[in-house]
Amino acid sequence: MNFEPKILGFLCNWCSYAGGDLAGVSRIQYPPNIRVIRVMCSGRVDPKFILSGLQVGIDGIIVMGCHHGDCHYLEGNYEAEVKFKMVKLLLSLVDLQDRIHLEWVSASEGVRFGEVVTSFTESIKKLGPSPLSGENFDQQLLEKLKAIELAAGGERLRALVASKRIIMEEGNIYGEKISQEELDEILISAIEDEFLRQQILLKLKNEPLSVKDLSQLLNIDSSVILKHIISLKARNLIDYIKIEGITPFYQKL
Amino acid sequence: MYYLERNSSNVLIIGAGIAGIQAALDLADMGVKVHLVEKRPCIGGKMAQLDKTFPTLDCSICILAPKLSDCYRHPNITLYTLSEVQKVDGSEGNFSVEILKHPRYIKEDVCTGCGDCAKICPVRGILNYFDANLVTLAAAYIPFPSAVPPIYLIDRKRCVYLTHGICVLCTKACDAEAIDFTQKDTIIKLNNISSIIIASGFNLIEDINPLKEYGYKKYPNVVTALEFERLICASGPQQGHLRRLSDGIDPKKIAYIQCAGSRNIKDKKYCSSICCMYTTKEAMITYEHDNEVESYVFYIDMRAGGKGFQKFLERGKAEYNINYINNKIAKIKVDENENPIIIYEDLNDGKIKELKVDLVVLATCIIPSEGNKKLADILGVDLDEYNFIKTKPFFSMETSKKGIFTCGCSHEPMDIPRSVAEASSAAARVAEIAKGR
Amino acid sequence: MKSEDEPIRIGVFVCHCGTNIGGVLDCEGLTEYAATLPNVVFSDHNLYTCAEIGLKTIKEAIEEHNLNRVIVCSCTPRTHEPLFRSACEEAGLNKYLFSFVNIREQCSWVHMKKPEDAFEKAKDLIKMGVARATKLEALETIVVDVDPSALVIGGGISGMNAASNLSKQGFKTYLVEKEKNLGGLLNSLYRLFPNDQESSELLKDIESRIQADKNITVYTSTMITSIDGFVGNFEVEINQNGNSIRIKVGAIIVAVGATPLKPINLFGYDGKIRITQFELENVLKNYSLNANNIVMIQCVGTRNEERMYCSNFCCMSALKNALIIKEKNPDVHIAILFRDMHTPGIAYEEYYRRARESGIIFIKYSPEKPPIVEENKIKIYNEYLGTEIIIPYELLVLSTPLIANEDNKQIAQLLKVPLEENNFFLEAHVKLRPNDFATDGVYIAGSAKWPVDITESISQGYAAAARASTILSHDTLEVEGATSYLPEEYKDLCRGCEICLKLCPYKAIRKNEKDEIEIIQVLCKGCGVCGASCPKKAIKIKHFTNEQILSEIYALGGKELP
Repeated sequence: MNFEPKILGFLCNWCSYAGGDLAGVSRIQYPPNIRVIRVMCSGRVDPKFILSGLQVGIDGIIVMGCHHGDCHYLEGNYEAEVKFKMVKLLLSLVDLQDRIHLEWVSASEGVRFGEVVTSFTESIKKLGPSPLSGENFDQQLLEKLKAIELAAGGERLRALVASKRIIMEEGNIYGEKISQEELDEILISAIEDEFLRQQILLKLKNEPLSVKDLSQLLNIDSSVILKHIISLKARNLIDYIKIEGITPFYQKL
Repeated sequence: MYYLERNSSNVLIIGAGIAGIQAALDLADMGVKVHLVEKRPCIGGKMAQLDKTFPTLDCSICILAPKLSDCYRHPNITLYTLSEVQKVDGSEGNFSVEILKHPRYIKEDVCTGCGDCAKICPVRGILNYFDANLVTLAAAYIPFPSAVPPIYLIDRKRCVYLTHGICVLCTKACDAEAIDFTQKDTIIKLNNISSIIIASGFNLIEDINPLKEYGYKKYPNVVTALEFERLICASGPQQGHLRRLSDGIDPKKIAYIQCAGSRNIKDKKYCSSICCMYTTKEAMITYEHDNEVESYVFYIDMRAGGKGFQKFLERGKAEYNINYINNKIAKIKVDENENPIIIYEDLNDGKIKELKVDLVVLATCIIPSEGNKKLADILGVDLDEYNFIKTKPFFSMETSKKGIFTCGCSHEPMDIPRSVAEASSAAARVAEIAKGR
Repeated sequence: MKSEDEPIRIGVFVCHCGTNIGGVLDCEGLTEYAATLPNVVFSDHNLYTCAEIGLKTIKEAIEEHNLNRVIVCSCTPRTHEPLFRSACEEAGLNKYLFSFVNIREQCSWVHMKKPEDAFEKAKDLIKMGVARATKLEALETIVVDVDPSALVIGGGISGMNAASNLSKQGFKTYLVEKEKNLGGLLNSLYRLFPNDQESSELLKDIESRIQADKNITVYTSTMITSIDGFVGNFEVEINQNGNSIRIKVGAIIVAVGATPLKPINLFGYDGKIRITQFELENVLKNYSLNANNIVMIQCVGTRNEERMYCSNFCCMSALKNALIIKEKNPDVHIAILFRDMHTPGIAYEEYYRRARESGIIFIKYSPEKPPIVEENKIKIYNEYLGTEIIIPYELLVLSTPLIANEDNKQIAQLLKVPLEENNFFLEAHVKLRPNDFATDGVYIAGSAKWPVDITESISQGYAAAARASTILSHDTLEVEGATSYLPEEYKDLCRGCEICLKLCPYKAIRKNEKDEIEIIQVLCKGCGVCGASCPKKAIKIKHFTNEQILSEIYALGGKELP
C-alpha cells in the first residue's frame, strides 16, 4: 500500500516559517505531504484549529514555534505549549494523540526543519490513514471528536489552560502558587469530566435518554454518568423531559 | 509600526554590523535620512555568523533577521553594499563624502536570488569568509542563503569572464537577465552630511597573526572560536553536527583556550571582553548537541559582569559538564592521531600538567577592523595605540573630531548588548546635530 | 477603496520565478486550476511577478476586472509581502485584501525531485489561499497623536545625560529626582577611572548644562505617584514636597540607578577601620587616611547564592583607589584579595597592569576558602602556594556590589514593567533591545537595569534618549492594522476574568473606566495569544481570524466551512 498522508503544519512567522524558508533556499528536500498555514505566533494556534483539522480528515498536524526564549512575542510559545498539551491529553482519550506534534524550529535550522517534517511524515505514514478520512470512516469517532472540540472550546478548560502559567508564576486569586504537577492533575481530571459531559450533551441533543441508555451508549459506568447528569442539570444545561416508570429521561436544553 | 517622514538631514554610517544597523534604524525611525555603507556584499556583520548568543542562548540570525530586513526596506535608509568611503571633506553639520561602490555584476533590482548563476558557474573553490573560510563557493555567489540584500554577486578576481574574457555561462543560465558584466566601479558623492558614525566593527587576531604557539593552522584540530561557531551552527558547513576537521570523528573532549593573543605583552595587552562568555556558550551548545562532551576552559580571570552572565557560568558548571581551569598555557602539541595535548601550569596548585583532548578552540583576540587605519586617515580622527578609534573619557561615542561619532567594537572590544546601546547613543548624539540644535 | 458588500472577486497571479518555480511546477496548469476555484474571476501567470512588469499586470487586472482580492503565488511573504501589498494599494485595494501563497521556498525548491506531488501541493496551497482570501477583511491603520515631551525618572549621571540629549533634540523634558540634589552616586565619589578626573568636575559640567537648559524642568525631592496612558500619551502625577503636579509626556525613561550594599555582618564591617569601597571614596576626598597596611577584599556579598552576579565596576574602583593611595604615598602596602579581576577592554586592562607594576599585591582567593578577618590581620589561603598567608591591616576595604533600589518595585508597578530576580529592571530583550521595555514608549538606562560604570551609564542614557526619540520625533504614530480587539458585539461575552490582560506581553490590554476590557491598538503587536486563550472566545484577531484560518483548514480537508 502506498499511503500518502495529508499533513497540516502551523508555523510561526518569525522562527519556524523562516526555518522553512531557509530549508527552501538551501534546497533541502523533504516529503511533499505538508501544507502550511502561517500564523504570527505559535501561541495563536487555537486548540479548535487542530481539532477541526482532524475532523476534516487531515492525517497529521504539526505545530512549530520558536525555541524557548526566542519568541518574537516574548512568551507566546510557552502558551502554545500549554494549549498543545491539553489537546494532546484530550486526543489521548480517543487514541488520536500521535497524529499531532509540537516542535521548536529556529530560523537557522533549515536542515532541521526538513528533518522534523520528514520524521513527522514518516510517523504518520506508519500510523496509516486517519479513521476520519476515506473509506474506513469512523462516524462514532467523529462524534467523540466533536465532544472533544466542545470540551476544549468550553470556558472551563480554556480558562484553566490560559491561566496555567499565571497560576504557576503569580499564584491564584488567593496568592497560592500551584506546582506544575498539581495543575496537570487538575487539568487531567477536568479534561476527563468535560469530555464525558460533552458526549452526554451531544447524545441528549438528538433524543431524550435515560442514565442507563447513556451508560450503554457511551460504555461508561452508570454511577459516573449520574454524577455528571446531576451536575449538568444543576447548571441548567439539561432537564428531564419525561419519566417512564421510575426512569427519568433527560434532554439538552 | 512605521512612521511618517519629517526631517531630511543626512547622516553617514560606516559599517553595517549590528552596531551600524542599530544606529541606522534608530536615526531612520526618527525621520533622519541615513546612508549606510558596508564593504561586504551583505549586512549583519559578525553577529550574522554566530550560532547562538549568550546569555539567553537565542539563535543569532533569528533575532537579527528582522533587523536586517527592516534596514534593507526602510524608506529612510540607503544601503551601499560592496562599498567604501574614500574621501571626506568638511566639518560637523556639513560634510561631503565620496563612496566607492564596487560592481556586483548582477543587477540589484532584477536578481531574484534564485542561485542559477552559482549553480552553473564553472569556477569553484572560492573561500567563503562567512563560513570562516571552511567552505568554498563558485565565483557567482551569495555569502549565505538568507543574506540581505538577497542578491548574488560575481567575484571580479575569480570570474573567468572578467579575468580572461571567456565563459558567460551565468548570462545564459539567468532567466531574469540580471547578469551585467558592463558594471563598473562607481563613485557616489553625498553632500550636506551633517554627521558621521563609525561602526567599522572588528577583525580577529588570526587574520593577521598565525598564532603559531597554539599550533593553529599547523594542527587541524586546533580551531578558532569563530570557526567553531560556524561548525556548530545549524546553517554552517557541518549543519551543526560537530566533527573534527582531521578525521570527521565527533569530538568528546574539547578544550577552550582563553586570551589567545591577548592579555600578554607579546601580542595584544588588552582583554577582548567577550570570550569568557562566548566560550561558555559554545561549550553549552556543544553539550546540547552531544551530552557526552566534556569541556575544559583554560582561563586567567573569568569576566562575567553583564546581566545574567554570572548565572550563565554557574549553569555551565552545574549542568553542561564544563570544567574551568585557572592556568597559564605553555604549549600545545599533538599525538600521532592529531589529538591536541595541552601543557599548562595550574594556577590552583602551581603544578605543570598535561591534558589530551580531541579538539582545541582558541578564544582569539579581537583586533581593530583592518580598514580602521585608512578610514581614520580619510576621516581625520585619532586612533589609539592599537588602531582602535580613540574616544573621549566617559563619552564613548565621541571621537577626536566634532561631528564624527563611533560605537561598538570599532573603538573597543564589547558584547552585543553594549554595541547596540552604544549604537543608539551615537544615534542620539547625531540626532542633536541633525535636528539642527 | 472597494466596498465591503460587493461580491468577492479574486485575482490569482502565479509566478514562474524563471525556472525556480516554473522548472518544477506547471505554472500554466496552476493558473488554470486557480480559475476553477470559487470566487476567482481572473488568473494569470508571469515570468517574474515581482518585476515591474509583473506588478503592472496586477495593478491593471485590479482595474480591469474590478478585483477586490489579490493572491500572488510565488516566493515567501517574509520578503515580498510588502512589495505586493504596496502594488495593491497603488491600485486602490486595501493592502490587507492581498494574500500570499508560498510555492517556491516551501514547495518547488523543497520538492524538486517530485514535481507531480509538488504540483498537487501547490494546488492545495492555492485552494487554501483562495479560501482565506474570501474571508479577508479590509483593515484600517490606526493613527495616534504623540506628545513631543519626555519624563526622565532619576537625576543621576545616566538620567541627566538622557534629559540633556532629549532637550537638545528639541523635546520638552521633565527630570524627576527623589533626592534633594541631582547627581546620584557621583556625589559620593572622589576621582573616576580610568582618567582620574574628579567626580565633582564631571558632575558640575553636566549639572550646569541641565540647570541652564530652558527646555528641561527639574523636579528634585520629587516622587512619581501615578502613571497612566500609553505610548505618545502618558499622564503622570508627581509629588514635590506634598504638592501634586500633573504632566503629560510622550515617552518615559527610567534611570533610577542602584544602591551600594552595606556589608552588615560581613568580614567584620564596622564603618571605621573596616569600611566599604564607597566609604573609602569619602575618606579620600579629605585624604584623612593614616594607614600603612591596607587590604581590599573584592566580591563582598556578591557572586554568591544570594546575589549571583558580578557588579561590574568594583574591581576598577578598587584599583583606582589603591593607585590613588599609592601615588600619594608609595610606602603604603596594599593587597587586593580577588576572585577574578574584572577589567575588560583596553583602558581597564591597562589600568590593572599599571596597578600590578605599582607594587600593589594581588592574591586570588576562592569562595570555598574566603579570607578570615581578625582584629588587625587577615588570614588567606593561597592556592598557588598551597599555604595560608597572614596579612596585617590598619584599614580593610570591602568592595560591595550595587543592589537594586528598594523602591524599584513601586516604580515597576506604576509603569507596569517587569523586574528580574535581583529586582533590577528587566529590559525587552537582553541582546537587541537593551534600553527598551517591552511596553512601547518606556525605556531604561544605567544601573537601574544592571550595575554599570559611568561610561556605560552615560552611553545608556543617550541610548534610551535615542530610543525615545524614535517615537517623539513624529507628530503621530501609525500602527499596523492586524491587531486584536474586543468587538462591540462580543462585549457581552467577556466576563472580566482578566486572563488576557495578564497574558499580553506588551501590556496592551487594560480595563477602562467602564470596567470593560480594552485592547489599546497602538500597543498591540498582533501575536494573537489573547484571542487564542480567551475562555469566552470574545477577542478577535484581525487578519488572522478564526474564520480565516478555519477556512484554510476546511479547504484542505475538502469540506465546506460550517
